Amino acid sequence: MGKVARQVVEQAGIEVNVLLDKLVRAAGAEFTTFYYYTILRVNAIGFDGEGLKEIIEDARIEDRNHFEALTPRIYELGGALPRDIRGFADVAGCPDAYLPSNPRDMKAMLNVLVEAERCAVRTYTEICNMTFGKDHRTYDLALAILHEEVEHEAWFSEYLTEGPSGHFRRGTPGTSPYVRRFMSADIG
Amino acid sequence: MALQKLARVEEIPPGRTKFFRLGSKTVVLANRAGQMYALQGICPHRNNPLEGAILWDHLLDCPWHHFQYDVRTGENHFPRNVYPADLPRLQEQVRPLKTYRVEVKEGDVWVDLE
Ligand code: FES
Ligand SMILES: [Fe+2]
Ligand SMILES: [Fe+2]
Repeated sequence: MGKVARQVVEQAGIEVNVLLDKLVRAAGAEFTTFYYYTILRVNAIGFDGEGLKEIIEDARIEDRNHFEALTPRIYELGGALPRDIRGFADVAGCPDAYLPSNPRDMKAMLNVLVEAERCAVRTYTEICNMTFGKDHRTYDLALAILHEEVEHEAWFSEYLTEGPSGHFRRGTPGTSPYVRRFMSADIG
Repeated sequence: MALQKLARVEEIPPGRTKFFRLGSKTVVLANRAGQMYALQGICPHRNNPLEGAILWDHLLDCPWHHFQYDVRTGENHFPRNVYPADLPRLQEQVRPLKTYRVEVKEGDVWVDLE
């Protein structure tokens, strides 16, 4: 834990334990989503599925990156990940992104994906609102993640023909253009 | 039909919610664009209080796992819209919130908790 790192956040008027609870829940949602998106990606086959596969992979890897980027901040503030992974899955801040009953129904799969991203967008908006002007480091991190979640939502929404995302594609899968700089252990 | 005075309207501005504990009962008031709604204050997902729930348009967002309820009907919107029907145990998690009748009289919010 960073003693002063926590103190400055407390002194700015943030209830650090409430914030930590939100960060752990967010990390839990990233971790479980990474798992469920693996199953979704595997099942994205056929004419429609193959096109979707790459986008799911980008979102899947970036969600794992979000987990990686959140974890150090949780410990810096004096928090911890639950010791039991079952407990971690239970506190995950967004519902599980289950494979649809008919795994070949790509529209149903897209709905699962877009709704999961929308839940993430709401989650990080909430954390940004809570930390804005008070906890600069968590805010910066939550904002970086929010940028990527908004892009994920736009990709799946575009695929559902709700409207263009305006984006093209990642150079390599799951590049995390915004969150990369927080993954200081992974990137030299 | 026993109306109970719960709050002043100013306490719950448009777009906001407020949680109340009344003995063994809990209620959450939600003001959607000037229209007041009262719903059961415990989220049926894991029985956590809807204290601090955020209103996104007509959807009440539970702070614990972000399940969303339509304030007009109490029905679960998300994740009911994506949970697969072939996993029946999940359907239990997406039960609706009970809704209560609300009246606003002279700036006071009255709720019928029957
Ligand atoms: S307790 Fe409300 S979403 Fe889980
Ligand atoms: Fe994410
Ligand atoms: Fe995402």
